[in-house]
Amino acid sequence: MSLIGRNIVRALMQGSQHVSKGVHTSAVNADQNVCFAPAGISTLQPNATKEGRIKCTLIPGDGVGPEMVYSVQEVFKAANIPVDFESFFFSEVNPTLSAPLEDVVNSIARNKICIKGILATPDFSHTGELQTLNMKLRNALDLYANVVHVKSLPNVKCRHNDVDCIIIREQTEGEYSALEHESVPGVVECLKIITAAKSERIAKFAFDYAVKMGRKKVTAVHKANIMKLGDGLFLRSCEEMAKLYPRIQFEKMIVDNCTMQMVSNPNQFDVMVTPNLYGNIVDNLASGLVGGAGVVAGASYSPECAVFEQGARHIFSGAVGKNIANPTAMLLCSANLLAHVNLHSYSKMIKNAINKVLTDGKVRTKDLGGQSTTKDFTYAVIQSLA
Amino acid sequence: MSRNYIKELLKPFRESKLFEGLSKWLAPSSGGSAGVVRGRENEVPAGRAGSAAYSTGVRRVTLIPGHGIGPEITVAVQKIFEAAKVPIEWDEVDVTAVRGPDGKFGIPQKAIDSVNTNKIGLKGPLMTPVGKGYRSLNLALRKEFDLYANVRPCKSLDGIKTLYDDVDVVTIRENTEGEYSGIEHEIVDGVVQSIKLITEEASKRVAEFAFQFATENNRKKVTAVHKANIMRMSDGLFLRCCRDVATKYPDIKFEERYLDTVCLNMVQDPSKFDVLVMPNLYGDIMSDMCSGLVGGLGLTPSGNIGKNGALFESVHGTAPDIAGKDLANPTALLLSAIMMLRHLQLNEHADRVQNACYEVLREGKALTGDLGGTGKCSDYTNAVISKLN
Amino acid sequence: MAVRLFSKLKVLPEFRNVSFASSAAAPATLSDFDLQHKTPVIRKQKLIPKAHYGGRHAVTMLPGGGIGPECMGYVRDIFKYIGAPVDFEVVDIDPTMDNDDDVQYAITTIKRNGVGLKGNIETKSEAAYVTSRNVALRNELDMYAYILNCKSFPGVPTRHKDIDVVIIRQNTEGEYAMLEHESVNGVIESMKVVTASNSERVARFAFEFAKRNGRKKVTTVHKANIMKLSDGLFLETSRRMAKEYPDIEHNDMIIDNCCMQLVAKPHQFDVMLMTNLYGSIVSNVVCGLLGGAGLLSGRNYGDHYAVFEPGTRNTGTAIAGKNIANPVAMINASIDMLEHLGHFFHADLLKRAVYKTINEDRILTPDVGGTATSTEVVNAIIGNIGL
Repeated sequence: MSLIGRNIVRALMQGSQHVSKGVHTSAVNADQNVCFAPAGISTLQPNATKEGRIKCTLIPGDGVGPEMVYSVQEVFKAANIPVDFESFFFSEVNPTLSAPLEDVVNSIARNKICIKGILATPDFSHTGELQTLNMKLRNALDLYANVVHVKSLPNVKCRHNDVDCIIIREQTEGEYSALEHESVPGVVECLKIITAAKSERIAKFAFDYAVKMGRKKVTAVHKANIMKLGDGLFLRSCEEMAKLYPRIQFEKMIVDNCTMQMVSNPNQFDVMVTPNLYGNIVDNLASGLVGGAGVVAGASYSPECAVFEQGARHIFSGAVGKNIANPTAMLLCSANLLAHVNLHSYSKMIKNAINKVLTDGKVRTKDLGGQSTTKDFTYAVIQSLA
Repeated sequence: MSRNYIKELLKPFRESKLFEGLSKWLAPSSGGSAGVVRGRENEVPAGRAGSAAYSTGVRRVTLIPGHGIGPEITVAVQKIFEAAKVPIEWDEVDVTAVRGPDGKFGIPQKAIDSVNTNKIGLKGPLMTPVGKGYRSLNLALRKEFDLYANVRPCKSLDGIKTLYDDVDVVTIRENTEGEYSGIEHEIVDGVVQSIKLITEEASKRVAEFAFQFATENNRKKVTAVHKANIMRMSDGLFLRCCRDVATKYPDIKFEERYLDTVCLNMVQDPSKFDVLVMPNLYGDIMSDMCSGLVGGLGLTPSGNIGKNGALFESVHGTAPDIAGKDLANPTALLLSAIMMLRHLQLNEHADRVQNACYEVLREGKALTGDLGGTGKCSDYTNAVISKLN
Repeated sequence: MAVRLFSKLKVLPEFRNVSFASSAAAPATLSDFDLQHKTPVIRKQKLIPKAHYGGRHAVTMLPGGGIGPECMGYVRDIFKYIGAPVDFEVVDIDPTMDNDDDVQYAITTIKRNGVGLKGNIETKSEAAYVTSRNVALRNELDMYAYILNCKSFPGVPTRHKDIDVVIIRQNTEGEYAMLEHESVNGVIESMKVVTASNSERVARFAFEFAKRNGRKKVTTVHKANIMKLSDGLFLETSRRMAKEYPDIEHNDMIIDNCCMQLVAKPHQFDVMLMTNLYGSIVSNVVCGLLGGAGLLSGRNYGDHYAVFEPGTRNTGTAIAGKNIANPVAMINASIDMLEHLGHFFHADLLKRAVYKTINEDRILTPDVGGTATSTEVVNAIIGNIGL
């Protein structure tokens, strides 16, 4: 599989080089259009180059990641979006070919934005290491907050309608601290770490996000009835922070009840804040409610950087190379990225195009009950760019 | 598969013989599996924990009514059982936490003694005060009786409208260790460390149980739910144990799935799953989620199987807001009690009560408020009783 | 107050008996003033994580009254145009309300965002117990230092050219302690409070500021010849502090003399350090020298929070809605804010545009001798961005 992945990346790199050459021949006018775009947008950014183009780190990832990323690149090219990608092959399943962690981290720290496919995490590390590459990247950049906005899409048939909730997940501590040891043979201890500082930080993030998005309610998901100290600390931190937001309703919910409510009545949720593992569960659950991993976008934030990635991270290895995966999630990620760097009109353009394609319903990938390929969908989106 | 082969492999496990009690819960009419059970019964007649030893006579069962709506719904179950002439004598105990000799709050000794003698119990919802040094009573009961596996069958019921049809999933959850080991400490101010404990022994035990359960209930597939890509050692160990056990059951399909993938797929297509086996926390979450798929905890039975006995319970909350108003829904406790009857091999009684209960739900006339009806708890009880014959 | 005292007693049980004994000897009741000053609350701050995510900051915006809302609108337009990575959380304060809910909420938002941008908030209520909201905000957030950077705009016609003075003002005590009472009929006492700790903080702040910004001289403005104890303490503290900064020249000046010197020879001043009321006077004098209230921006700093506002604290209610208010002060405040947040790229961009608009293109509102409307000025600034 790794071989296929590598080949795909190579193919993509070559492909993109060819196309970018093609674009360069007519680049002069294009760039000017970009600088003084009619919509009155500007690309004035600290990380922008002289011509007003923005640099963005790109990690295609494993599985269907490269195909998704290719789709994003195609759309960007077609829409003439002033973003240049700095691409890294970064993978845990293929450590020999992977770019070193420092390079990737430096690039993201410099560009401040990154779009990332999914990194596969094998069950066993060859080196016996307990931290996964994803964790290392998050820790190195301090990408502590993961935001997944789960929203029902038009004309995507699901059991639930009008789901619209934001799930905010702490992703640098908790169960994913990678502190494990075998105290005696056959007995493994895995440490879950909860700290007041990080709990407060994520709680604050959640409330600030709610304020920013004009949301009304924040729900803390926990299991403090059993893990009284650990989750208790998390819950206390959230309660403490909630006092600073008298105009936002705060409620708490035990994680098992939360999952149950989620499948029976998801409309009651607004913003949810969770520790690491529960977040992972709720993310995926909620993604399942609105159409699966292929349609939900997410993002991870540190104080300085933002990494845009799919909300539910599945490598979907069964679809690699078959051209059947749904690129909607990745395209939505890219639209969010554009909004983040202040290219709102481009962002809207892509979002509208996706909505249009979904509403028309003629081009559907397999996961949404259609027969179209990834490429078909991508081109349909490109056709709909206004 | 030769029976001797299984016997050989299961020797240590069978000493408790508990799986036999489970065998009949969900497959009342499966002739094949019933035959198997009978065969075994002849071999080791008295060894089963709290099971068929007294199946001919009246059986004493510890009854823990619990808090909130607990007393009402236990009364409902008692009435129905009385009407169905189920040969059960209830031994009612109170488990409200008392301060023990060590100064900690815990279960009263009387309750412990009762369960230890009867080996079988039925329990309503318990309330644990949050914080303040209380140990969860549920947790304490589990520890006390070494109830290592929690079984929760989630099956779509006729007459209960949900968005998901044809759900038929059994979650089997390791119940004694994992994240709920209860070992937590504050290392420095503001930093708490909780230990998730996974042992080979407990993982093997629950895996064995899951496969045995699947065999006896004609299930096709066991899915191990894990997160070994993140927790490589602990969940890795659990997963290895499951793999090892799976090799002994070539007839049952075994697959491994990441927790998040299961969550995602479960809400998209629940029919992909059959029997799920998983560590404690995941099980807790998944079992409640599956209940949500079929209509909530008010409709899901639950059984805890241990070395020293079995405890059947309704897992919903104490609902203090409607307590004493005759509004509660006793279905979950009733279904749990039916599971208990099967465990006690009182299958005929179990079938009768179950059919009556399903009939009432299907007709939908006497449903309680939580199911969208207007009936009271007593109406519902009477409806079930009237359907018994 | 009493509650506070008793809670203190509970904290220190070993003193409880002693306190009771002494309170038996002391007058039966203590005044609020006594309580406040004999048992000062130690301002323990639990640090709240700052709202800084993915390179973007959340900032509280308090439009206030008068021209505030329109100026804030301009700032938001400009920020949107340059893509400043700042998300505003707007809190409107109803000036006619007698209760302090809105103000308390505004304070809470600043506490959690760490940074605020504010117009002038009106306090319309005449009730004696309703304190000035601006003062309440500063006191509550413990923003002890106020900085007004006064630099001449070459494009604005004034008598004095090339003035470059920094006014640093103690912001939370002094004459603005808001402790007034009528002791006998017809006699009103107003307290002026000067504490060593606050004087030291602001003096330290002034010298650090001078050192970091390459300033040469700090002038302490006071009236210690009359108010020997209070201003004396302030002066003494700044003199002591000056010894720790041998590279920076330090002198002092009496307030009345200072005002005269300012209008006559403003170039002799560099950094000026003063108590609250004098700061109010001096900053308005200097603003006048540079061309009016509409150009300068001020900064309030505490240990944990910073609030940016137009330099002179007038609401400008009379010209509100007429499209003639000068938006430059608020824009300058927003530039200060961007610098404070570390977004130098955007701050510079905006700063250059403002400079060009005022000094080269000379597009000015009537208050500084121009003819342009507010929106024309804003559009000119937007047009100059990036050039």
